[in-house]
Amino acid sequence: MKNLLRAAAVAAVTALALTGCGGGASTSPTNVAPTGEIKPREISWLLSRPADGAVINIMKKLADDYGKDHPGFKLNLITTPDRPSYIQKLETLAAANKLPELFDTDATPFAQQLAKQGKMVDAEKLLKTLDIYDDYRPGALDYQRFDDGSLFMIPFQFELEFIWYNKALLEKAGVAVPTSLDDIPTMCTALRNAGITPIAIDGQDQWPLERYIAYQPFRAAGPDFVQKLKKGEAKFADAAGQKTVNWMADLGKAKCFQDGFSAQGYSDAQNQFTSGQAAMYNIGTWELPSLATDKLNPDVRDDIDFFTLPTTAGSATSANEFVSPSGIGMAVNAKTYDPLVSDFLKFALQKYPAEYAATGALSPTTTVETTLPANATPLYRKALDQAKDLGSKQAMPWDTQLDPTTNGRLQQELVLLVQGNISPEQFTATMDNTIAQNAPKFFK
Amino acid sequence: MITQAAPASPPEVVPPRPEVSRRRRKPNLFRTLSRVLIMLIVIVQVYPLAWLFLTSLRTEEDFATGDPFALPGSLTWENYARAFETGDLGRNILNSFVVTMGANVLIVLLGMMAAYAIQVLGFRLSKLVRGLFLIGIIVPVQIALVPLFIDYSAVNLLDTYQSMIIPLAGFSLPMSVYLFCSFYEYIPKETYEAASLDGAGPYRIFGLITLPLSLNTVVTVVLVNSIFIWNDFIFANTFVLSEDLKTIPLGLQNYIGAMGKVDWTATFAAVCVTITPLLLVFLVLNKAMIQGMESGATKG
Amino acid sequence: MQPNRMLPNRSRTSVLVFLLPPLLLYGAAVLFPILQSLFLSFFSWNGISDMEFVGLDNYVRMFVADDIFWRAFLNALLYLAICLVLQLGGALLVASLLTSLHRGRELIKTLYLLPAVISTVAIAFLFVRIYSIDPVGLLNQLLHWMGLGSLERPWLSDVNTVLAAVSAPEGWRFTGLYMLIIYAALIAVPKELEEAAVLDGASRWTLFTKIRFPYIRPVWITTTIMATTYGLRGFDIPYLMTNGGPGQSSELLTTYMYKTAFTSTDFGYASTISVFIVIECLVAVGLILFLLKRKADS
Repeated sequence: MKNLLRAAAVAAVTALALTGCGGGASTSPTNVAPTGEIKPREISWLLSRPADGAVINIMKKLADDYGKDHPGFKLNLITTPDRPSYIQKLETLAAANKLPELFDTDATPFAQQLAKQGKMVDAEKLLKTLDIYDDYRPGALDYQRFDDGSLFMIPFQFELEFIWYNKALLEKAGVAVPTSLDDIPTMCTALRNAGITPIAIDGQDQWPLERYIAYQPFRAAGPDFVQKLKKGEAKFADAAGQKTVNWMADLGKAKCFQDGFSAQGYSDAQNQFTSGQAAMYNIGTWELPSLATDKLNPDVRDDIDFFTLPTTAGSATSANEFVSPSGIGMAVNAKTYDPLVSDFLKFALQKYPAEYAATGALSPTTTVETTLPANATPLYRKALDQAKDLGSKQAMPWDTQLDPTTNGRLQQELVLLVQGNISPEQFTATMDNTIAQNAPKFFK
Repeated sequence: MITQAAPASPPEVVPPRPEVSRRRRKPNLFRTLSRVLIMLIVIVQVYPLAWLFLTSLRTEEDFATGDPFALPGSLTWENYARAFETGDLGRNILNSFVVTMGANVLIVLLGMMAAYAIQVLGFRLSKLVRGLFLIGIIVPVQIALVPLFIDYSAVNLLDTYQSMIIPLAGFSLPMSVYLFCSFYEYIPKETYEAASLDGAGPYRIFGLITLPLSLNTVVTVVLVNSIFIWNDFIFANTFVLSEDLKTIPLGLQNYIGAMGKVDWTATFAAVCVTITPLLLVFLVLNKAMIQGMESGATKG
Repeated sequence: MQPNRMLPNRSRTSVLVFLLPPLLLYGAAVLFPILQSLFLSFFSWNGISDMEFVGLDNYVRMFVADDIFWRAFLNALLYLAICLVLQLGGALLVASLLTSLHRGRELIKTLYLLPAVISTVAIAFLFVRIYSIDPVGLLNQLLHWMGLGSLERPWLSDVNTVLAAVSAPEGWRFTGLYMLIIYAALIAVPKELEEAAVLDGASRWTLFTKIRFPYIRPVWITTTIMATTYGLRGFDIPYLMTNGGPGQSSELLTTYMYKTAFTSTDFGYASTISVFIVIECLVAVGLILFLLKRKADS
């Protein structure tokens, strides 16, 4: 029996060694213009986007068009819209060295390791070779960059995040649109006293609450803070860190978020806002079709407006700089990169922006004008116009920046902090400790 | 070594009495109370299914703003139309069917074989084998995810029906082995001896005696396992990539939109559609299943 | 002990023919992955890096330096306790009540099994609605009607109630299964025994504790083991309803292991937790057998 166990263990080692450590880059990631014959075949794109959304529909259509001139070509779109399930799938595929030709990823530390191992094609060089690099909004590309400035993912969206609010409810509580982030807690108290839920938030998906902790440091210290924090060079115990920790605790004390928010989902939060129960709602332009068209509940339609992220006194960033993500990016697998993939990308990326802008969304490029949908309210145009006047800095969502373990812990502790289950001091100690433990493994 | 989990048994099996022949007593407090309690519990058990179905008939507005527990103001079949439009439900149901059937065939056939070897044929290390199977009942399935993924990619089994069927069958096998074992224990030794004297070998006895006698247990094993396999999310999510192979739980994910937004009424419509086949089978066969389970349980 | 052998003449080959295929499948799907986990637990590996042998580091970290691990372990035990009470207690209660019923037994048995058919995704969503406070969910509404307004709370956000709240659906879901088994055992209790006891003037309670329960004890042990192992496997419902939160209040060992593997990509450490779970489950079952058997002997 013992020998059998030993034999099995040896077999396990071999299996792991073969799959885990085998492979490696076959093509150099720097060669973005492979030469040779274009041999049409079936390629796959592993993505995490809504199954019936604009990106998938357009890329399907473009692939069909390309397939007409290149018989035998097929683009296989494999989507897992649920993000945690997607990330699991991506990681296991990467571990098995089975990544498809194209795959979605944020600029996470994990993706950076893949890039360092030469598993992804350099997107900056690729876009430059296709001569479309300058078409892209700098902000859309910056969002995709790793912290060393390198670019390995191509954006397909461009979104702006605003705080939407209900004028009538603010009036009822006798409060004005906040001019500073620091006004928000007192504003919440006033709203609560008037019997209104101040902010509707999707607590179940974790990322919305994590946005809030990024705001104060972005204003106080600029985008560098989280870059340093994630490597352990800055701490929550620092001034900027303490400010945001205390602010989050204040938001909780003022009962800014709906009761029991941590178990409420995306639709619950939006429903609270669109049914006129909650006064504010922080969400991006991807919700324009439900917030700025006649699909919006008529009872609140005339009362809805938005403001951009407030500044603070002595703010290091200006009012036109806030969260403006270009969505999850598409990476190109270096191992399977060949003349066909290159040619298809050239075809698709040049045609994509016009098609995408026609759906009423903001293109990641500046070359096309977004078409207003027929049922749009005036707010739609106002929201799109914000994209014309953006500063050069942007607030990065922390969930794409921190190492995954720290990120998971932060999301958990944040709920406890806002609910008042732990003190700001406990929060600070736990998080600084967690970063010190986990950051070195990821940011060597 | 681990000892087996199937302990002693009642001295003799009393067949369930069809009609309870007790004297009718006048209704007393205890009886009324227990009636009420049973009714309450039944409501608690049935209510969710009713709620699920009612919600699938609500309009989106009604669901979003109305009291989720009140009766819907108006009924609509639109959610079902949207459900079929968004996802390839037919395909998902077919895939779930293939996986469920495939796994069940393995579970039943291999379960019977193992139980036959352990209980009827007997061999020196049979206790050890029983113990080994016990491990499979005990350990949580999640621990196999990472290793299996690595193994599959090594032998090119990722993204196939087999990749789902193998672990689903593997983890259900032990329970099936135990159920068959405890059932075989009660096939009288004389039956086998008689057949042996007639010159039948182990293979013929298996085919002519053991297999036909096990039918009720087969139904039980199949139904109990189908419930788990039909709704399995974790293995399918880890091992399946292509749209063509997505089972029902994965298909339901297609109703998730950007950043976690979910079209709930359509999702519930889809849930209703997808549990229907299982529910029908369950309602038709439940008597056989309940009988099999009851006899399996009381026999150890 | 003599091997249990019913067939007088059977060849060694025939045993192998029947035994090997099941063992092969079982070995490939269950045993081999467990061994691989054991092996991986001595390494540090994130899936794409080179594997690095770290000896017992992962184990030291688990036992000494990981507060979440211990929290998850305690939560898992509490979760198990709640599931057991609901499943076994509920099953025993309903089964007993059912034996006193004359009509409709079959119907009730069927209805009672229904929740097991619904997928966990739907169950999780349903219960999130039931526990909700804003908008008011069913549970808080009921408390309000009963005049227990002070007990209303966001059950899934309150760190004190969340664990019980995620355990309840799991308990509720499978109680029907155990009820069936126990019911079958109860109706097998010889009526002569019961009637004799009733003639002796035994109350319902003594009847239950002195006659019925001792009679069904073997079945009870089997059911307890089943419920325990399923309880220790619990994953879907807490994962879908709260993802372990708020904080780590509803984190179980299984959800923690899953997150460590697939969110933190710490496959080595996740395997270490897996090994612990396997041992934990074996110990739990051993303990049950030991305790219940000893009680039976005394």
